[in-house]
Amino acid sequence: MNQTELLDQFILEARECLEQVGERLLQVEKAPGDTELLNDLFRLVHTLKGNCGLFEFKPLERVVHAGEDLLDRIRNGRLAYSNDIADALLEAMDFTAQMIDEIEQSGAIGAGAEGRSQALSSSLRAHLSTPVATRSAEPTPGTDASASVPSPARTPAPKPSPKPSPDWASRVPPALLAKHDQGVLWCYEPEPDCFFKGEDPWLLAKQTPALQHLDIGPQADWPDLAEADCYRCNLRIVGLSDAPLAYVDEHFRCVADQVQCVPIAELLPSATSASVHGSIEAGDATTGTADILSEEQASALRAAHTMRRRGLQIWDEQLSLLARPQVTPGTVAGVHAALCNLMSLLSPDDSTRPEHTQSAAALAQWAQRHRPATASAPLSQDAEPDGAAPTDEFLGADGGAASPQQATSDASRRAGGDDTAHQKVLKVGQEKIDRLMDLIGEMVVAKNALPYLAHRAETHFQQRELAREIKAQYAVINRIAEDMQHAIMQVRMMPVGTVFQRFGRLVRDTSRKLGKDVNLVIEGEDTEADKNVIESLADPLIHIIRNSLDHGIELPEVRQKAGKPAQGTIRVAARQESDRVIIEIDDDGAGVDPNRVRRKAIERGLIPEDKAQTLSDTDAVQLVFLPGFSTADAISDLSGRGVGMDVVRTAVERINGHVQLSSEFGRGTRLRLSLPLSMAVTNVMIIEAAGRRFGVPMDLIVETVRMHADDIHHFKQAQTAVLRGRIVPLRSLHELLSLDEPPRLNEEGEHAVLVVRFGSENVGLLVDQFHGATDIILKPLEGVLSGLTGFAGTALMGDGSVLMILNPKELV
Amino acid sequence: MAIRYLKKHAALEDVVTVEDAEALFDWLKLQAKPAVTLSKCAHVHTAVLQVLLMTRPKINGDIPDPLLRQALRPEPA
Repeated sequence: MNQTELLDQFILEARECLEQVGERLLQVEKAPGDTELLNDLFRLVHTLKGNCGLFEFKPLERVVHAGEDLLDRIRNGRLAYSNDIADALLEAMDFTAQMIDEIEQSGAIGAGAEGRSQALSSSLRAHLSTPVATRSAEPTPGTDASASVPSPARTPAPKPSPKPSPDWASRVPPALLAKHDQGVLWCYEPEPDCFFKGEDPWLLAKQTPALQHLDIGPQADWPDLAEADCYRCNLRIVGLSDAPLAYVDEHFRCVADQVQCVPIAELLPSATSASVHGSIEAGDATTGTADILSEEQASALRAAHTMRRRGLQIWDEQLSLLARPQVTPGTVAGVHAALCNLMSLLSPDDSTRPEHTQSAAALAQWAQRHRPATASAPLSQDAEPDGAAPTDEFLGADGGAASPQQATSDASRRAGGDDTAHQKVLKVGQEKIDRLMDLIGEMVVAKNALPYLAHRAETHFQQRELAREIKAQYAVINRIAEDMQHAIMQVRMMPVGTVFQRFGRLVRDTSRKLGKDVNLVIEGEDTEADKNVIESLADPLIHIIRNSLDHGIELPEVRQKAGKPAQGTIRVAARQESDRVIIEIDDDGAGVDPNRVRRKAIERGLIPEDKAQTLSDTDAVQLVFLPGFSTADAISDLSGRGVGMDVVRTAVERINGHVQLSSEFGRGTRLRLSLPLSMAVTNVMIIEAAGRRFGVPMDLIVETVRMHADDIHHFKQAQTAVLRGRIVPLRSLHELLSLDEPPRLNEEGEHAVLVVRFGSENVGLLVDQFHGATDIILKPLEGVLSGLTGFAGTALMGDGSVLMILNPKELV
Repeated sequence: MAIRYLKKHAALEDVVTVEDAEALFDWLKLQAKPAVTLSKCAHVHTAVLQVLLMTRPKINGDIPDPLLRQALRPEPA
């Protein structure tokens, strides 16, 4: 992965993180006590910070870091979440989003960001220092590097009274406990049937981060060998790790219920640990302190220690030898000799020697009683460079080398394991999906060439048999292509919730600014639609919500006077209706005043006065969709610029959607958006004019009729006709496209008229001929053609020709 | 094959998986003087380790994995 790819990935992930952070921040505000939520939030910010650190984006990292520290405090309950903090965090988040945009555009952060970043991070840190004055002794998190590591282990600053040591703690040498008093002691008892779940507890235990000691033994006594089931796990693994508790917890997260973790600090009261340390130091002092020992002496000591360990091991081996059933007298004699030698080696001061006896049991008993203590001179423990495997150095040449190797494989396996734990989601850039979509489009086009080929085979080459085979093959390819198209469509589907997410923030900020109390209810956020549809929805929906907030919902006092609850409600609901997605935005605000709308429309010269008066209330309300319409008397930063609802309508109609507005004055407003599920495939009707073929989107077409030339009324330049009792204006496509021929008539002297819908009006287009409907993949005009009006785009036809798709709205 | 069953001992090599545990267990139970060699062994599955802990065979040669070596050292009775 090269740098740019990495950067792209970073931007992608950062965006995602920010989106979730924004959502969580609002949720946390509603439920400040929810630790789960706070943890989640912290984790997101932490990830973001880590990602920022990967690149040299200092201003970005500084702000995120400050945010992280703040959240860490809140998470640990040392700081109360407040509106001010929320504001600061949200502001920081906006800044971060801006930075990400900047990075995406230019690959770097502009110089101007430095100042803002400083200001933001210090305003965040201001919250850190305010809460409790007594905390001032603590190092400021910004200055010490350790603050960036989430270490819950450091939170319990005042040590609670020591917990009683669990019995399994005795499996770890106490000296080791004292040495790693910041570590974590854990006991892992895999469930009996864990082997059938594909678990390997030993491997998991071995990979514990910063493992210092590992002990394995049976949970209960071993059953009789004859009855034992080797696939029934009866093991208890006790380990000691130097990593923070959180890391150990994280490591064992899959088997959390089978693992107990105890920070050693909680087991050892500080006094005890100090005394253990003290005794070690005292021991050092008597033997000649460790740090002034020469290298030779130290290694001699280590050798002595190793020998002792080895000796004890042999001692234990002798014991297990004696414990075997049927011990021969020769064995007993051998063991006896070995024990005598060991005794003189390990405890030279102790003069007791086992008696010469032929009984294995008696010897075993003696050996158990007189086994020299495991804990040898404490100094040798201390002299060990690391406590992981105290005897490795001398027992095996490869022992020392194995540790670092193992550490690296630990790290890599840990990383691998983390991946599997996540849900299998593939992140793919949209352009890749679009490319796939294009390819499938081409495939559809190529496939459509087969019927032509079959036709040619039949008519031109008189190969009827071949034509039939081609057609059969075509049917197969057609089916596969359709499936492919369907599948890729599914990939492009996105829940509408992704757009709804930002509403929470919008409503919160705006309602606070306006002094209104608004509750946002979101329903059906799982409803899915094509990514393009969803994305083009974002702006119109924000317009609508803003309108509702600004004009719809009244101030709390006004609401109460009108007998409504002080808190206004905005409901956004999405659902699927056959092949369309319906989004409804309701508010229980003031509604639209039809008279006011009429007045304003006349004032602004949008419609003549007499026409305004004849409009019904329902129709009058629709005037808000007129370009340039605004009811607001003053221009605010929210609305009133006259780019309101008509922008919404244009945006929605651009993606083949419709908007409906219904409002009850004094009771509320409802906007209903109806959108297509997908815009990938367009159904068009092919028409012909002056020997050229054009496509017209099917959803605009009302009907196709043949109209006798005599039925067309000419009034100056305008042509009209009466169709089903209504007057329909007629336009000639030839004229609109400046084609040099007049519209052609058929043998009966009739015009072909395509009646298309414009909002609530119908217009007839005079064309030469109709050619049936087809599904095409609409490609927008690109390059020099993109400025062309009157055309929605192009499509490739099965025979390789290019079909221009008309956009009648721009044309007429 | 991760386990080679020889005349006097079983040689556990590379990574010994969970599937090998049962065969090893049965084999060890049949031996008069069970013995295993672990000197070429990189990792044993927990089930295999459990078998070794249960049957306590004689271990020839040394054990490269320090943690495994520690785990299989004779139990202080």
